[in-house]
Amino acid sequence: MTQGRLTKDQIQKISLSLVGFVILMYVYFSFFLGPLNRSRNTMLGKIRDTQSKMASSQDNLSKAGKLEQQAKTATSRFAAFKALNPEGAPIAWFPPRIKLFFANQQIDKAVARLENNSAFKQAELASWMKYSWLIDLPQADYAKLGKAIAELENAEPLLALTRVSIKNTTDQPEFQVVVLSATTVIEKQ
Amino acid sequence: MALHLNLLHEQIQEHRQRQRDPLKIGMMVLITIGALLFLYYGWNAYRTLAIKARLSAVEREWAKVEPRVTAAEKRSNELNDIIKTTAVLDEYVEHRFFWGPFMERLTRCVAPNIQLTSLEGTVTDDKGVSVSIEGVAAAREPRSAAEDLRQMLSEQLGQAGYGDVKVEFKALDDLETIANVGGASVPMAHYIMAVNFQPTNKPRPTPGPGKAPRR
Repeated sequence: MTQGRLTKDQIQKISLSLVGFVILMYVYFSFFLGPLNRSRNTMLGKIRDTQSKMASSQDNLSKAGKLEQQAKTATSRFAAFKALNPEGAPIAWFPPRIKLFFANQQIDKAVARLENNSAFKQAELASWMKYSWLIDLPQADYAKLGKAIAELENAEPLLALTRVSIKNTTDQPEFQVVVLSATTVIEKQ
Repeated sequence: MALHLNLLHEQIQEHRQRQRDPLKIGMMVLITIGALLFLYYGWNAYRTLAIKARLSAVEREWAKVEPRVTAAEKRSNELNDIIKTTAVLDEYVEHRFFWGPFMERLTRCVAPNIQLTSLEGTVTDDKGVSVSIEGVAAAREPRSAAEDLRQMLSEQLGQAGYGDVKVEFKALDDLETIANVGGASVPMAHYIMAVNFQPTNKPRPTPGPGKAPRR
């Protein structure tokens, strides 16, 4: 062997050492440091997410508090709308209520019939239904009818008259035959 | 010059060779690097454990806050729904057509020599209000009396704030029948009127008798 030159055996050993080094690096980075770093990064990401959630939650809490203050009018008005209609099926309470209302207005023999009911298209009114009613008033006096209708429109904000039909009768000239079509907005039961 | 005989030449040579054995050197280098890497790994593991502890603390804190936040979000959604629903219901209430004021205006137009026999009114979202009025007029000039009613009705509805008021005759025919108005016999005319208008600037509904308006 000469000085400065590597023998075949030495080259083989150096190669073996290099291979060992590469394997060591591979094992170290793939099975030790890599998973550790990934785990650390995942945890850091989770910390960031949680901290941002906490920051936004504080914001949401304050917003919710403010919203509660702002929505006072709306909530009381909403409660008032809900309180307009009693519990139970509308067919059970609406016709007697109308009959009593017109009787109090000195218009007798009022009959209310349910024509149909349908859901609203607006998403905001998903829990409300529109009911269409036919109200027959076979013995109505025009002046009293006008006052009664005005009172009805005042008393029932969720009721709208969509059609009014007033006809003279030959057998009772002092009365008119009246048919009203009304729609009411009632919360789903 | 003195002659030195190295009788241990081969042994020394072997010793030197063993010392310069690349595999041995490589193993030593590998062990050194391995030790450094182990230390580096240990440092990283320590940092990771610290981060894990921080994460646990943050998660504990979040677990304390989360129920309140969830409840607040739920309440916010509920309130937003209430606000939106109330706004739509308010719009519905405000956009109703009130028949009371219209009937009152109509009453003002009907003179003693005019009779209404039929009134059919409908409200549609797009076309506004359509009313068909049928009746008879009795006067020396019954057509003029019917025209007076038409003009007065048009004027009254305009004053009431309705928009695009149109009052037109659909029919106006003389009748054979004679009516007695104020002791005088006068001819009669039969009319059918079409009234169309938009309920813009709607007046408030006339309050019922003895009660204050609630709106």
